Amino acid sequence: MHLLEPVLLLQFLVSGLLAGALYALLACGLNLVFGVMRVINLAHAELMLAGAFLTYVLYAWAGIHPLLAFFLVLPALFGAGFYLQRLVVERVVGKGELQSLLLTYGLSIILINTGLLIFASDFKAIPELQGALIVGDIAISKPRTAAALLAIALTLGVYHFLKHARLGKAIRAVAEHPDVAMLCGIDVVRMRMFTFGLAAAMAGAAGVMLTMIYSFSPETGADFILKCFAIIIIGGMGNFIGALYGGLLLGVAEIFVAGFVSSQWAEAVAYVLLILILLIRPTGLKGAADVT
Amino acid sequence: MSLKSIAPGIVLALLAVAAPAMASDYQLLFLLQLLMMIALAQSWNLISGMTGYVSLGHTAFFGVGAYAGALLLQWGFPWWLAIFKGAGIALLVAAPLGVLTLRLRGPYFAIAMLGLNEIGRLVATLWVDLTQGGDGIPLSPARLPTLLQNYYTMLTLAVLATSLIAWVRYNRLGLELRAIREDEEAAEMVGVNTTRNKVIAFALSAVIPGAAGAVYAFYTSYIDPVSVFAPALNIQMIVMVLLGGSGTVWGPVIGAVLVRTLHELTWAQFPALHLALLGVLIVAIVLFLPKGILSLAPWRRRVRPDRAPGSP
Repeated sequence: MHLLEPVLLLQFLVSGLLAGALYALLACGLNLVFGVMRVINLAHAELMLAGAFLTYVLYAWAGIHPLLAFFLVLPALFGAGFYLQRLVVERVVGKGELQSLLLTYGLSIILINTGLLIFASDFKAIPELQGALIVGDIAISKPRTAAALLAIALTLGVYHFLKHARLGKAIRAVAEHPDVAMLCGIDVVRMRMFTFGLAAAMAGAAGVMLTMIYSFSPETGADFILKCFAIIIIGGMGNFIGALYGGLLLGVAEIFVAGFVSSQWAEAVAYVLLILILLIRPTGLKGAADVT
Repeated sequence: MSLKSIAPGIVLALLAVAAPAMASDYQLLFLLQLLMMIALAQSWNLISGMTGYVSLGHTAFFGVGAYAGALLLQWGFPWWLAIFKGAGIALLVAAPLGVLTLRLRGPYFAIAMLGLNEIGRLVATLWVDLTQGGDGIPLSPARLPTLLQNYYTMLTLAVLATSLIAWVRYNRLGLELRAIREDEEAAEMVGVNTTRNKVIAFALSAVIPGAAGAVYAFYTSYIDPVSVFAPALNIQMIVMVLLGGSGTVWGPVIGAVLVRTLHELTWAQFPALHLALLGVLIVAIVLFLPKGILSLAPWRRRVRPDRAPGSP
């Protein structure tokens, strides 16, 4: 088949968007934390893997289907994030980037290696939800479609929440100006706990989806976190919805490079985009530091 | 700098020079790795400890040096020339990269460096004609320097890196770099040429990892993309500097000794546990000891005006 046939291009586009939706969900959470408290959470992808392994344990030990595990993993990760913020991360908010980068770097190393101690470094997968839908001339993988729809729905849901809900507005006020927010009677520390919990829950949700479409090990996070950085830099740091566009863009770009060049070079797309955007337009395509 | 302040350094260096006479090969290898980590930690200290620009990808230069050294050795250059050229190539790569990336502030710089290390790893993996890709490069034993030669080269690098920090810290460049760390805008306003100083520090901080990478290639006699463009190595540099005290002369040395000893005691039996402990160590340092172990030393308290009673 010739590479420039429209059917093939459409197939690439759809596959790319499906892959990008997972990136987007993960990157939006990372960006939310950065936007609200100026902390770059290097352990964000490990929170996703915590969600993935929790799903795996529920599936392997209790036979719970990943789509049901979703409803257990989300609150679990929310709680974990909430208290992680309260006990550890809150102490470095406002202390400068070095402190927060190093703290979350340490957290990520702890999580990865605790994962290795418990689960070893073999790859795990959950063989549920397989097969593909055939729509016209293109094939769409069922698990990827389910994961992508969930991811987009969650991301837009959180966006809507931040934009319109009272709590969401309070979070944005904290992002905008913590001191003024505090003067207006907003419990700033609690809002940050809530924000970190929300971001961790989004990462956990991404973890549930990860189990449906990829095999994973405790060390899988490294690839994702670097891609997330690329995404939030493409979309604008702290810009929540920018990360959604950035994620979809990266997903599509990767699939096209994999299709036209090679899958190895597809790995390089994120880094090349990352460096290019940093050098040309460091505030990102959508402009930085606007939580919504 | 008085004689008193460099005396411990001279004693340590003399001990290290004499060590091969009494150490077994295994112990010598341990010391060699310790010296390598001191050299690397001091290099990271120069850019990140002094200026506050956190490099999460300093292993990029280590990897470039390792590949340059290994390839040059294969192409028939003598080992010592290969090390010089490895360092030179790391410098040539770093200078333009520094000009580009140091325009970025704070987290942007850290992330750009993380990306650069990944790009280095990908180039080494994908440029198969030059680097043999993921298979790596085995070096033929006949051309390699001996363990003793590697040891003394690494000792030289560690001493050079530490002296560089000592020299920079007590001259104008060091003062200006620390001014950048405290407040870059203010530094610029009082006439510090921030861009030039940052690029100089960055380039200097790339040379030693370049040379150390080449020596690493020689003493392990095999390199591949994953082992030299290794984020784990970067973690170790950061932990050592922070543990000892960033921006100080002796902090990274103390940090390197502690971390390598911990490594030696736990690595072989429990690799994952060892790294998890390093993670706990990083978190603990950030939360409880942000200025490092050296800040606990009683004699430093008296001379630091910012710690005088009554100051905020």
